Amino acid sequence: MEAINANAASLKNKANEILGVNPEDAKLTKSFLLVSFVALLLGGLFGLLQGINRAGLLELPSWLNYYQVLTAHGLLLIVVFSGFFMIGYFYSGLSHTLGGLLPKVRKLGWIGYGLSMFGTVLVVIMVLMNEATVLFTFYPPMMAHPIFYFGLVFVVLGIWSCCIGAFIQVADWRKKHKGQHLPILSFFATGAFVLLLGCTLFVAVEVLFLILPWSLGWVDTINVMLARTLFWAFGHTAVNIWYLTAVSAWYVIVPRVIGGTLWNDTLTRVVVIALVIMNITGGFHHQIVDPGISDTIKYMHVFMSLAIGFPSLMTAYALFVVMERAGRRKGGKGALGWLKKLPWGDVRFLAPFIAMLAFAPAGAGGIAQTTFQLNAVVHNTMWVVGHFHLTLGMSVAMTFFGISYWLIPFISGRVLTPAMNKLGVIQTYIWAAAMVLMAFAMHTAGLFGSPRRTSYTTYGDHAAALGWDPYMLLIGFGAVLLTIGVLIQFYAVIHLMFFAPKGQTEFPIAPKEPGDVTGYWTERWGVWVVLLIIVVAMAYVVPIVDMIVNAPPGSPPIRPW
Amino acid sequence: MMDQFKIGLALFIFLAIPPVASFMESVMVIHMHMQMPMLVIAGLLMAPFFQKQFPNFFEKWNENGIPGILLFIIIISYWLLPRTMDEALSLTSVEIFKFISLPFLAGVPLRDSWKKLSDFSKNFVITLFTIVFLGMGFLYIFVPVQLCNNYLIIEQIALGWAFLLTAVGMIVYLLYVAFVDPSEYE
Repeated sequence: MEAINANAASLKNKANEILGVNPEDAKLTKSFLLVSFVALLLGGLFGLLQGINRAGLLELPSWLNYYQVLTAHGLLLIVVFSGFFMIGYFYSGLSHTLGGLLPKVRKLGWIGYGLSMFGTVLVVIMVLMNEATVLFTFYPPMMAHPIFYFGLVFVVLGIWSCCIGAFIQVADWRKKHKGQHLPILSFFATGAFVLLLGCTLFVAVEVLFLILPWSLGWVDTINVMLARTLFWAFGHTAVNIWYLTAVSAWYVIVPRVIGGTLWNDTLTRVVVIALVIMNITGGFHHQIVDPGISDTIKYMHVFMSLAIGFPSLMTAYALFVVMERAGRRKGGKGALGWLKKLPWGDVRFLAPFIAMLAFAPAGAGGIAQTTFQLNAVVHNTMWVVGHFHLTLGMSVAMTFFGISYWLIPFISGRVLTPAMNKLGVIQTYIWAAAMVLMAFAMHTAGLFGSPRRTSYTTYGDHAAALGWDPYMLLIGFGAVLLTIGVLIQFYAVIHLMFFAPKGQTEFPIAPKEPGDVTGYWTERWGVWVVLLIIVVAMAYVVPIVDMIVNAPPGSPPIRPW
Repeated sequence: MMDQFKIGLALFIFLAIPPVASFMESVMVIHMHMQMPMLVIAGLLMAPFFQKQFPNFFEKWNENGIPGILLFIIIISYWLLPRTMDEALSLTSVEIFKFISLPFLAGVPLRDSWKKLSDFSKNFVITLFTIVFLGMGFLYIFVPVQLCNNYLIIEQIALGWAFLLTAVGMIVYLLYVAFVDPSEYE
């Protein structure tokens, strides 16, 4: 009887390997993705309220003020939508490329899901009760209700559980496959989870040691500079992890969708390693105008931040090589003829392609912001808001949308019908047009001095402020279009998850180019982590010691709302 | 091999350029944790040249790697003393000694010795420096007085934390060596 059971079990494993989907792992990913897209829906609706408020068309009622909406919009989209999507996507990638999740890893994934969900609910309740209108950066000395911070702690604990699960999965696979290369998608996942663990350590220190004792009233004051610095070590890295997640799809998934091959396997891994080692230290460029950090340190950080531009430029080159190669093999002629051979009608390609395009101006704007003098022009203006609507709102979100059109059918045992594909293409165009419009208006208004994080005001009909109004109307119009995009996307996700016709969908992973041999040295994660620690130490030891030893008296809590 | 020598020599010359040297020496932690290690690295890169030019010398005097690593430890220990850093800033002769001793008496013998040492000796050396760095870290962080005339207490504390983090890095490495068997994975 046992033998038969064992046989049945091994048959099931084989079937999973061939069909590529383990139903229990699929359930885990499905849960993560569902939360992610519900957050997109809610966050998007909050975004609509903000957009039309900034356009001067809607005055929010006293029980739902602009800053409360802004906090919810930021947290739901930057943290919950992106974070849950990233974990769900990479867990399904680990399951698919490493032959199914280990039972204990799946358990850790569920524990992580539960803890993060619990934390998210606490956070959202506090925001909705107007007890935590501190914006998504929760900068001290603004102080929220302690339960808000406890919620954040649970979110981080959940993330750690998922990180540890991923590491166990990878270590186990490597033990069982000596001398083999970690499949490229899992390599990306490993890098992303290493960064996620590294950066959440900073925010954990901030919340546990600085903010919680202060918000509970155990200590009277808080070191504001230190808290901000720890926050940005996390905040900057977090958004770069979402970017790394999108990049993984550009390198691994998109080539398959267009019928091509991977770029160069070793160099792709080098990009991942470079992004992992150099990312956390970029946080300082968010604090270029902060007092209490010496010019020398800020100058050093311009270099440390711009270093990330190098792997990004490698990525830009690589992706066009991949597309050109695939297009030419399909018979594209001439300098640009290969472009015509790409599957423009396939949402799984179109959405990430527009996402990549958006990253060009987004990256250029990022370089401007990282530079000392240019940052002084745009700091805390609408320009910055335009920047992260290009990076997160387009590059990351549109890639995630593109992924959802095959990943959700894949985990749900359904297929993407031509009608849904068409809807996806329409959604992509609406989203792209709306974001381009909105981001352009935000950048321009920012250059003219319109501040970010400010409810609608004409500053007593001041001429300069009135000059922003046309752009603000464009932002409002963009927000309305984006809401339509959000509704279509949410409908598509629910449809693909629960109602689309049953069938098999492929998990698209591009094959290597023939003769592409990977260097084994790329697998030495121990070395990369030690280098990461060294780079972080180089960046943070001097300023943080300075902030602690030469600390000002500290700030008591402030509640401006 | 010649390429490595050229890179090492170029690094050595770059570090010796007065504005570079004076900038790096202006911050205590950069002086001790960037300039000094980079001088050692310059020596490491130049080592193969000397090994090729004087094979008999290295064979005769550094047969099992122990004399070389001892010389390395002595030179590094010397430069861990607060007073030597101070003197390097105020006495030109000591500054010159720094630029000679770290590359040629620490970097070169380290490269020649490291491959000759057993795993036990390698880990012993790393453990030794871990303990020393922990001690130095706590000393610099908690000592209430200024140890170097040329550097403020705040810089001393930053250096202390840099020592502790370096020690943490080495502890991570030692744990990795102790608990992870690469042959299980590779």
